[in-house]
Formats: sequence, structure tokens, C-alpha cells
Amino acid sequence: MSYIPGQPVTAVVQRIEIHKLRDGNNLILGFSIGGGIDQDPSQNPFSEDKTDKGIYVTRVTKGGPAEVAGLMMGDKIMQVNGWDMTMVTHDQARKRLTKKNEDVVRLLVTRKSLEEAVRQSMMQH
Amino acid sequence: MEAKEEISDTDSGIILHSGLDSPIIVTKDVSTHTRAVKLKRQSLQDRLELCILELKKLCIREAELTGHLCSDYPLLPGEKPPQIRKRIGAAFKLDEQSILPRDEDSELCSVEAKLALQQQIYTAAHRLCHEEHLSKAVKKSRVQQCKHEEQKLKELQDSVFQLRLEYGRSSPRPCIITQKHHGTSDNSSLSDSAVLDEEELTSQSSQASSEPPSITELHSVAPGPSLLSLNPSGPLLHPPELRPSPHQPPLEHLHPCHSPSLEYDPAPIQNSPWKESSLDQPYQKQKKSHSSSTSSSPASCPTLPPLETCLEEVDLKLQIPKHTALRHTQSSSTPSTPEMHLRRVLSLRVPSSDPANNAERDRGRSRGPRRRLTDVILKTPEYSPITLAVGNPVHHSSSEDSNSEHSSAPSYTSSPCQELLAEPEQLRQAQHRYHYSNHISPSYVTHRYYKNSSAQLSPKLYRGYIDEGRGHDMDLSRMYIRHQPSPCINGHYEYWYEEPPLYQQGGRLIPHHLKLSRAPSLKEYAQHPGRALPRQVVSDELKSWHQRCQLRPRSLDRQGAVRIRNLPLHESPLSHRHDFYDQVPQRTADRTPVKWYEEEDQEIVSQV
Repeated sequence: MSYIPGQPVTAVVQRIEIHKLRDGNNLILGFSIGGGIDQDPSQNPFSEDKTDKGIYVTRVTKGGPAEVAGLMMGDKIMQVNGWDMTMVTHDQARKRLTKKNEDVVRLLVTRKSLEEAVRQSMMQH
Repeated sequence: MEAKEEISDTDSGIILHSGLDSPIIVTKDVSTHTRAVKLKRQSLQDRLELCILELKKLCIREAELTGHLCSDYPLLPGEKPPQIRKRIGAAFKLDEQSILPRDEDSELCSVEAKLALQQQIYTAAHRLCHEEHLSKAVKKSRVQQCKHEEQKLKELQDSVFQLRLEYGRSSPRPCIITQKHHGTSDNSSLSDSAVLDEEELTSQSSQASSEPPSITELHSVAPGPSLLSLNPSGPLLHPPELRPSPHQPPLEHLHPCHSPSLEYDPAPIQNSPWKESSLDQPYQKQKKSHSSSTSSSPASCPTLPPLETCLEEVDLKLQIPKHTALRHTQSSSTPSTPEMHLRRVLSLRVPSSDPANNAERDRGRSRGPRRRLTDVILKTPEYSPITLAVGNPVHHSSSEDSNSEHSSAPSYTSSPCQELLAEPEQLRQAQHRYHYSNHISPSYVTHRYYKNSSAQLSPKLYRGYIDEGRGHDMDLSRMYIRHQPSPCINGHYEYWYEEPPLYQQGGRLIPHHLKLSRAPSLKEYAQHPGRALPRQVVSDELKSWHQRCQLRPRSLDRQGAVRIRNLPLHESPLSHRHDFYDQVPQRTADRTPVKWYEEEDQEIVSQV
């Protein structure tokens, strides 16, 4: 996802609704995240742009709630329940995702394949 | 038809023979048209490109002169405007706001220009102050000069601020700039090398003016008359001379480009190495567990003496290996224990139990071994064989029932309650104390128990405590046993383990046993109202644990097997003390008083 500094970022996003799995006191989301503005973005294996400090999905548990909802490894999380995730620290993102009083998280994610699909469909018309 | 053929003839003739094939001819006609249009477009495009290039050149030239790019510079979408550098003194960028909107207000402009100049002067003076290898007198005078300039700068800032307020401009920009500038000049005056030459000149000139120099010196050093006129007496007094517009050199000094200072600004948030974190654990918990795992166990290990020596001190030489072995098997085969965090709590509590131990007799011991000991024992309740019993309640109850069957039945029915009641008061109190602390950290209790046993050289009574069930976590069921140590117990283990059918037989006896055993614990409940909550927690946790265990009963069986293999290795009587619960028949045969009382949560076990 490339952008020109100062210009609004446009991205093709997908809405994903994850119903957390309750396991005792734990709420299981079934995925892992990496990144955040406090982390070295150049080590992110998923980002195209190595300066992108966004939150990325690094792992999705097979059969877990996240996979059921359609989350994929390498997705970039843009929003969580309406909260911006493109300019947050790693811990802030984790906090936001693992709220105990929320059984459902609604994500906006973007991924390369999404953008390509949209581009292709636009070319056809 | 004729016409069409004619057209096709006039053309290149490739499709000549196609003759009457009308569609092809039509397309051919169109193609010639498009070709012509294309050519025309091409030439137009070329011309446009040339024009654009020319315009660009002009724009850039203009920008080089004025210092800012003209707005009709042709930019392709996504293209960045080129970096423009002013030709003269390319290291500096003019501050547009103070120079371009000339028409706005002359007074404010002039004061702003003065302020900008004063900043330069001040930084130069400041740099001079910090020059090395100066004689004291020179340094003193320079410091004075610096202060003087600073004072002026502040006055100017104030006046600019006032003016700004008057004219309703919102942002007191120069103030910000000065701060920034101070920053850079303070930490490394040599960093902005591009500015250096010119600033050197200004600084020298200011220096020259400060230490009344000869006129020749002045001339040789000072770059321009305007600067000289500024310095000596407050520039506020000479506004017309200070107007920067006619003179280029001072203008350049107005705002030396800010990029260096921006570049050296550290990022507000430092990057940490990229990591990922699973979202399956609650937020705080994960953090803590991480810290505890790093802080508690590895931290204590390196400082401690070897394990052997610690163990020898408490005569537990052989006991520990068993538990460590158990621990390994357990960790590999059971479902992950749900109470890891509780274990953490325990480990945190261990140090606090140390003073209590100190109060007891063993003062001579060093801190290291004791801590090691607690560390080791801390793990035992969790992995103690009885865990299996709880996980698989049939085994648990049967183990005792098999015992009861093999030992004389009356000993069972009578001993638990009666013995306990007949127990000396002090002993009960001691046990009560154990219970209390035990409730929070059973490991601590076990620890104390070991201490006692090691301290009493020839004890008549051993007070055994076993934390049963999920041990460290909750006191699901506990046993307190008094008995005399008997060395000949080994065969018993095999016996007990090699006759699994017995377990099943004894199943019906459970309720009876429980009834007996639970009475004392209830008494204790009354004494400790604080237990109510943990009990709930226990039951909750236990239920989930059971659910998991039922999913994989085989792993539990395997653990039992592992334990059999482990146990016979231990020859020392002390090592057996830890396993009273399955030694009961032997004990009763020895006519040792055996006391059982099992606590509250036994009922949960029986429920499942």
C-alpha cells in the first residue's frame, strides 16, 4: 500500500467480524499481530512498504475464530471496532483487540490480493 | 462496390485481393484515418512535451531566483515537485512568511527581521562562549556578550509577540524558531557545516564589536557594513538600517535552513524490535506471565549453589529428581494447566515466607540454598502424583479405597476423626497455621514441612503434609499424616500400581470416606471466612480442568505409568514421606497413627 505523504491514504478494505471464543476467563481470538509504531517496521515480513508501521496479522490459528471470520495471515489491520490501527503502538493494538467486555471485534483489514482484485475489476469495466 | 475497390487499391494493397469482402475494406478505411490522427496526436504530444519542458526550466529558474517554486509548475499526477535551492547561499532557505508578504505590515516585518538577525547574533555569541582554549578574560567578556545578546533577543521576541497579538496573527512563530535554533547550536555548533563559513564571519564580527578592536581589524574581519551597524548598540534603535529587504547577506542569515535541526530530532517513539503477540491471552496476563518467566526462574538460578548441595542440606537428596522427572513428563502430556498464573503468585510469595523460616531454628543456612529448595518444592505440588488422581477421580478415590481394603477397615473408619480430635491442641494449632498459609501458597507449607523434618534429628512424629489435587493452585484436598518413618515401603508401590482392578472395586467407598474426612476442614472454614472466594475459583477452574482431562484420559494414564517407573528408584525413607497417601496400608500395619483429613473440594472431585 503506497501513499504520498500528506495525501489521504486510500485502501481497499474488507470488513471482518470475529466472534471471540470464550474459554473460561480467556477470550480467544485465534490470531497474532505484529507491528505498531513502536516497532522496527523494516523487520516486518508482511509489509510491502518497509516503512509501514501498521499492525499486521502474523498468524492465524487453524479453525480459530479469526480464520472462521476470514482473516488471513499478512492482513493489515486498519481499524478495530472503529478505532484506528494504523498509528498505534503494539500494546495499544493488543489492548484494543483483547478487550474483555467485547465479545465481537469488527476489523477493517486490507491485503494485497484485495487491492489487486479491485484493480482488475476496474480494468475490465 | 467500385468505389470500395478503388479505395482498397489506393491503399497499400495488402488486402487487394479480398475485393468484395466489405467488412475488411471498411476497417481498412478506418485504420487509415486513425493512423493519420495518431500521427497528428504524436506530433502534438511531442510539442506539448517540449513546451512543458521549457516551462519547467523557466519555473526552476524562477524558483532559483525567488526561492520558491511557482504554482504553475507542471506536475504529473504523483510527481513530486523538484527540490529547489536558491542559487545564492544555497544552504539557506528563505523564510517566506517574513519576506514575501511584504505589503502586509511594515513594522511587524521589520521587527521580525530584526529578531531573525538577533537570533543569528545570539547563536554566534553563544558559540563563541563555548569555544575552547580561551583566556579567562576573553571568555568572560564573551559570556557577557552572549548574555547581552540573549537579553536583546528576548526583548525582540517580546516585541514581536506583542505586535503579533496586535495584528491578530495566531502563531508566534519566531519564538518557536528560536527555541529550535538554540537547541541545535547548543548541542553541536559544528553540525551544520554548510552554514559554518558565513556564521563564522558573523560571529567574528560580533566578537570584534564586543572587544573594542582596532578599525583595521574590523575591516579585515567584518563581511558587510550592515552587520557592523547592527551589533554595537541595540538594533531596536535603528529600524531603517535593519530592513533586510535591500541586503542579501543578512537575509540569508534570517533563518538558516531548519532541516538539520529537524533531521537530528529524535523520533518521539523509539523503535523496538519487531515482535508479534498472540491475542488468545488476555492483555495484562500475558504481559505478566512473560515478565515472571523471565524474572523469577532464571534470576534465581545463576546465584544458587548446585542443586545437590541444597538437597543434601535437607536430606531430600533423592526426592527432588523424582519431581523434576515428573515435571517433564507432565508438561509434555497433560493439557496445559489453566492455573499458570497462580503458580506465578506462589513464586512471588516465596520470598515473603523466608522471614518466617528465619524466625525458626535454621538460621545458619544461607539464603541461596533455601530459596533453591523452595523453588524446587514449589513445583512439586503441581506435579505431584496426586494431580493425576484429581484429573481422573476414579484413580484417586480408588487409591485410597484400595488402601482401605488392604489395611484393616476399622483403621479407616475410626482413625481419621478420632485421631484428629484426640490430637494435642498445640499440634492442631500448628496445623491450623499451615492451613492458613497453605491456602495461599501450599508450596510454602510443604517447604516448612521439610524444614521441620530436617531439623528434628530423630523425630517421633512426622507431620506430613501433602498437597493434593492441583496442589499449588488450590487446596483441593489435603492430607495431614502423622506417622513414624518406616524404611520398608518399596514393595508397596508396585503393589498399588500393579493392581488396577482394585481401584474399581473400591469405588463405592468414596462417600463414606469423604464424609469422614471433610468434617475438620469445615471447621476450619468457619475460622477462615476468607476462603469462600478462592473456593469458588477452585471449583470453576477445576471444572474446566476436568473437561479438558476428560478429553484425553490417556495422557493421564500415561502419567501414572511414568510415576511407577520413577518411584522405585528412591530408597531413602525421607523420599517416601512425600508419598504418604499411597503408603497408608503399610503405615497402619506399623500401627502408626494415620490421620486423614481431606478438605472441602474433595466433593468436587467426587462429583465428576
